Amino acid sequence: MAVTAFFSAFMGVVVFFFSLSGNMGSPAHWIYAISMLAVFAAMIHTRAYSRWRRVFQVSFALLFMISFIGILYDERGSMSLTQDTVQSGEVPFCQIVIPAIIAPFALTGRVIFPARMTGHFASVMGMILLWFIATVTIGRGWCGWVCFYGGWEEGASRILKKPRVNLLSRNKDLRSFQFAFLFFVVLMSLGFMSSVYCEWFCPFKLVTEYAEISDLPSLIATVIFIGLFLGLVIVLPLLTRKRTQCSALCPFGAFQSLMDRFSSYRVVIDVDKCVGCMKCAEACSFCAIDRETIREEKGRPELTCAKCGECLSVCPTGAIRYQFSFQAVSDARIRAKGCSPVPKNAPSNRFGAYFQAILDPQYLFVFTAFTFSVIVSGKFIPDAFIRIASIAFGGPR
Amino acid sequence: MKVFFSSFAEPLALGLSTGTWCAMYCVPVLLPFLLGRDESGYKKNSLLIAFFLLGRLAAYGAIGFALSRLGLLAMEYFDPVLARRLSSGAYLVCGIVLASGIYAGRCASCKTALSPDSAVQTGSRRPGFPTEFESNLNPRRNALAAAALLIGGGDRRVSFLSGMSVGFHICPAFWTAAFRSAASPSAAGGVLYFSLFYIGTLPFFLPLAGVPFASARRESLRRIARTTQLLIGAYFIIFAGFIPLAFGR
Repeated sequence: MAVTAFFSAFMGVVVFFFSLSGNMGSPAHWIYAISMLAVFAAMIHTRAYSRWRRVFQVSFALLFMISFIGILYDERGSMSLTQDTVQSGEVPFCQIVIPAIIAPFALTGRVIFPARMTGHFASVMGMILLWFIATVTIGRGWCGWVCFYGGWEEGASRILKKPRVNLLSRNKDLRSFQFAFLFFVVLMSLGFMSSVYCEWFCPFKLVTEYAEISDLPSLIATVIFIGLFLGLVIVLPLLTRKRTQCSALCPFGAFQSLMDRFSSYRVVIDVDKCVGCMKCAEACSFCAIDRETIREEKGRPELTCAKCGECLSVCPTGAIRYQFSFQAVSDARIRAKGCSPVPKNAPSNRFGAYFQAILDPQYLFVFTAFTFSVIVSGKFIPDAFIRIASIAFGGPR
Repeated sequence: MKVFFSSFAEPLALGLSTGTWCAMYCVPVLLPFLLGRDESGYKKNSLLIAFFLLGRLAAYGAIGFALSRLGLLAMEYFDPVLARRLSSGAYLVCGIVLASGIYAGRCASCKTALSPDSAVQTGSRRPGFPTEFESNLNPRRNALAAAALLIGGGDRRVSFLSGMSVGFHICPAFWTAAFRSAASPSAAGGVLYFSLFYIGTLPFFLPLAGVPFASARRESLRRIARTTQLLIGAYFIIFAGFIPLAFGR
């Protein structure tokens, strides 16, 4: 209880700073702040991180769509992306494009995405700064905790109780395909000096903005967008209970997997406690745990782990936990020498136990990841509340 | 001094200053192909790069020959629209070469055409995933396998053909060099100008010589690179080739 209160107080400061300050008179912002604090407190108190994370992410995906489309209508009067918008560089920048812009920028000094560099609600510099800080803290945890697109798959993958299609034996292929697709997107963006992913392969055009249908190629592109959204974001997650677009197509996800080595936290599997029941592999939404992962006693999920916490919640022996990266590396080295890491000493008093608890990497990771959730959602969710209220009850926004 | 500058220094400087663009067009084709080769050492890797560059040079030679035959009529025929169509056609052919190149020498019917440099590795075969397996694709039923049969069993041939098809993609640097060499007072001078420009672009391909350093360390890279090669092939065929040719986009 004391730990919950401690972390909730700090989260209150974060929510105040990123959403409530400057909007104290807005009921929507108060509802958002109270909701976020309630979700976070429930998460810490029950330790059911993944369940509450899911509640947040699914809600965020829906509310982000309402807010984002509303902003587009305010700015340009439609969801449609016109040539004028592209030429004037008024397209909101999206994190999925980050890996595709690096190589062209390195070689030519040009940003191939037609967005504003600064000053816009989704400017290039703003998103890159956010990505950089997220990378060195939560790494690919962005996908599991923050991504406003991932909530669609998260929701679809939880509709059925059991998977109708089992992808477990295909995990390695899916992972390979995701990295191959990242490689493809990077190379093609370099070769054509344009963001080919946005032009032809983005499944989320349907819930953000779409290119104007002015000729047959743009119609083909739209059909591809709709097909990818229905197939990879709705139908396949529904049948497999996996986040298939995140696991097989998203170039940003693959890129974050590679960048994850710089992050401060990891998910580790205690091979001494693991009984090989494979519940974690079945529960993993990102295809990051295989039979080989468990059989070969790797001590951690595969590269594509998004630290969503699904495996933590289903592990019957508590063998899976969040850990500091430096600690995980040193433990792995000790195990490589054939020894067991020295267990922590039990605290001698209540204060010691409390102090040890607030320094526990699992709480710190959850706090950090949820802080990013607040940073990214702090503007969009209250805005969506206001828009919904103005539609439901009429009157000005 | 002036002659030296216009005949030697200028084309080299042009090649060196615009080589980045050449690399940007060619590396996306060449890099996954090199990474995905079986048992590729430094020697074989360098040989494949050389074949690719030879193919590119052959394409340039063909365009140069056409320009020289047309003379001043080139101004009539060679316009941006033709260049765009030529590029789309080049991408279409390159896409077919790359996509079928995955299976060249690996499908059951290509066995007779197997060359020593495309070793077939049998292993756990998973249909539809271009990993290091001997494919059972039937050329009579599968277009990729049929194209692979046409290309034959050699990585060198795939490398040469992909280089040649990329060569027909006319980039701004090539345009500049081609017309500058066409304006040369003599044919030999034009050829020399263009050759020096071409040599000037070559240093940008040197980093590719280090590809085996990466691919030898990670087996999974080869598997990923082959899938990427297939994706790039498909992208070239559909989005960079067929759609622009058919709909003029």
